[in-house]
Amino acid sequence: MKTLKNNRPVTVGIFIFLGLVILVVTIFTLGGQKKTFVKSVTINAVFNDVGGLLKGGNIWFSGVKVGTVKDIKFYGSSQVQVIMNIEKDALPHIKKDAKAKIGSDGLIGNKIVIIYGGDSTTKAAEKDDFLTVEKAVTTEDMLATLQANNKNLLEITNNFKSISKKIDSGKGTLSTLLNDPAIADKLRTTVDDLRATVANFKSASVNSKNVLSNFQDFSGKLNKPGNSINDIVSDTIVYANVKETMQQLQNAANSVSQFTANLKTVSDKLNQKDNTVGVLLNDPDAAASLKVTLNNLESGSKKLDDDLEALQHNFLLKGFFKKKEKAKADSLSNVKPN
Amino acid sequence: MAPDLENSEILPEKKALISKKIDSFFTDIYNVYKFIALFFKELFSRPFEWKEVINQCYQVGYKSLALVSLTGFITGVVFTKQSRPSLSTFGASSWLPSLVSIAIIRALAPLVTALIAAGKVGSNMGAELGSMKVTEQIDAMEVSATNPFKFLVVTRILAITFMMPVLILYTGFIGMMGSYLNVHANELTSLTAYFKSAFATISFLDIFSSIFKATMYGFTIGVAGCYQGYHAQNGTQGVGKAANTAVVLSMFLIFVEELVIVQVVNAIR
Repeated sequence: MKTLKNNRPVTVGIFIFLGLVILVVTIFTLGGQKKTFVKSVTINAVFNDVGGLLKGGNIWFSGVKVGTVKDIKFYGSSQVQVIMNIEKDALPHIKKDAKAKIGSDGLIGNKIVIIYGGDSTTKAAEKDDFLTVEKAVTTEDMLATLQANNKNLLEITNNFKSISKKIDSGKGTLSTLLNDPAIADKLRTTVDDLRATVANFKSASVNSKNVLSNFQDFSGKLNKPGNSINDIVSDTIVYANVKETMQQLQNAANSVSQFTANLKTVSDKLNQKDNTVGVLLNDPDAAASLKVTLNNLESGSKKLDDDLEALQHNFLLKGFFKKKEKAKADSLSNVKPN
Repeated sequence: MAPDLENSEILPEKKALISKKIDSFFTDIYNVYKFIALFFKELFSRPFEWKEVINQCYQVGYKSLALVSLTGFITGVVFTKQSRPSLSTFGASSWLPSLVSIAIIRALAPLVTALIAAGKVGSNMGAELGSMKVTEQIDAMEVSATNPFKFLVVTRILAITFMMPVLILYTGFIGMMGSYLNVHANELTSLTAYFKSAFATISFLDIFSSIFKATMYGFTIGVAGCYQGYHAQNGTQGVGKAANTAVVLSMFLIFVEELVIVQVVNAIR
C-alpha cells in the first residue's frame, strides 16, 4: 500500500505529461497547418464585394495555400480592403501584375482569395503591394444567367408551340411544304439539280486545281535559273542591258516624236500660200497659169522637134549625120562573126 | 476552522423573508459564494497540501482515464457513423473528418468528459465528504488542529480543476482516433489525410476555449460536489442526497456554462 502511494506522484506526472504531449502536438500540428509559425509578408487587394470572406480565410496561388486573410476592412466609400498574410517563401512566385479574386474551396465551401496570373518577366510582389482585382463569377451571377436562360427557353417553347399548332392546323408555307406532294416532287427535283450543280462545282474545282497546279509548275520553272525570263528577273547584267535598250528605245521614240512634230510643221506650211510649194499646192490661179505654161511648153517642144528634123536635112549638117550612121553600121558588122 | 460556514446552517431557522423555498435558494447562493471565497482564501494560504493534491489528482484524473477514454472512443465512432449518411447525401463524405473534429474538439470532448467526471468524481466527492460530515470526522479533524476545508475541499477542487483539461485532451485524442478508424474502414482515408482534413477547420481558439471550458467544468464539479458533501445533513440519507444533488447540480451548471461560453467564444471568433 505504501509503495502504491509513493508511486502515485509518478503516475500522476506521467498522466499529466502525456496530456501535455497531446496538447503540444495538437498546437504544433495546427500551427504547421495554419502556417502560424511561418514567416509571412502582408499584401493587399481591394474588392467591391468580398462575398462573405472571413478573417483567417485561405489564400490560394496556383491551387496551393500560400497564406491566410489577416484582416478585412472598409476602403474608401464602399470598397473592402483585404490584408493577406503571404508566406515569405511563396512571395517571389507572386508577380506585381498578378490578379486576385474571391473564390470558394468547393461548391458550398468557405470563401477564399485566389491569386493567379502574372507575367514571369515582371518583378515579384513586395510587402504592402496592392494586387489588381478581378470580379469573379458568383453563384448569384450564375443563377441570374440561368434565370434569363429559363425565360428565353420559355419564350422559345411558346413560339414552338404556336408554330406547331399552325402547322398541325394546315396554316402557312411550312404546313404546305409538309403536306403538298407536288412540292415534295419539286423539292426532290431541286435536290437532284443541286446535286448535279455540286458535281459540276466539283469538276470545276478539279480543273481549277489543275490550272493552279500548272501555274505552280510554270512559276516553278520561272524560278529555276537558266531560262530567259528567270535571267531577266534574276540576272543583273541582262537587266542592265534591258534597261539600256529601253533607254535607247525611249530616245528613238523621242526622235520619232520630234520627226513627227517636224512633219507636222511642214504639212502645216504646205497648207499655207506664203511659200512656193504651198502656192503650187493650194493656189488655183497659180495652177491655171502653170497649166498654160505647160501647154505652151508642149507646143514649143513639138515645133522644136520639127525644126530639128529640118536641120538634119540641111546641107550644112547633112554630112555629120551620114558619118554617124556609117559608124553605127560598122560597129554592127564587127559584132556579127562572133 | 471555517467558522463562517457554521452560520449558514442557522440561517434557514430564521423567519422567512419571501418564502421558505425562495429564501433557501438565495441563502444557498450566498453560501456557495462564501464557500468559493473561502476556497480561494485557503488556496493561497500556507500550508499547501501538495501530497493530498497529487493523491486527489490520481483519484480524479488517472482513475477516470479508462472510463473517459472508452466514452471518448465510442463518441468518436458513433458521431462519425451518424454523420456519414447526411454528408453522403450531398456527396460530402470527405468532410467527415472536419465535421467530427469540430464537434469533438469544440463541444463533445469537454462536455462528455465533464458529464462523466460529474457522475463519477462529483458523486464521489459528495458522498465521501458527506459521510465524513455526518460521521463527524470533519469536526474531529478540526479538533486535531487540521484544517478540514484546506485538506478535504481545496485539494479536491484544485485536483479536479487541474485534471479536467488533461482529461479532455485524452478524450479528444481518443475520440478522433475512434473517428479515424471508422472513416478509414469506410473511406480508406489515410491517417495523414484524416488529420490534415480534421485540423483544416480547427483554430487555436477552439482548442484554448475547450481547455478553458474544461477548467471551468472541473471547478464547477469540484465546488458542487464538495459543497454538497461538506454541508450534508441528516445521517446516511443526507449522504445519498448530497451525492445525488452534487451530480445533478454539476451537470445542470455544466450545460449552463457551455451555453454561456459558446456565446462568448463565438463573439470573439
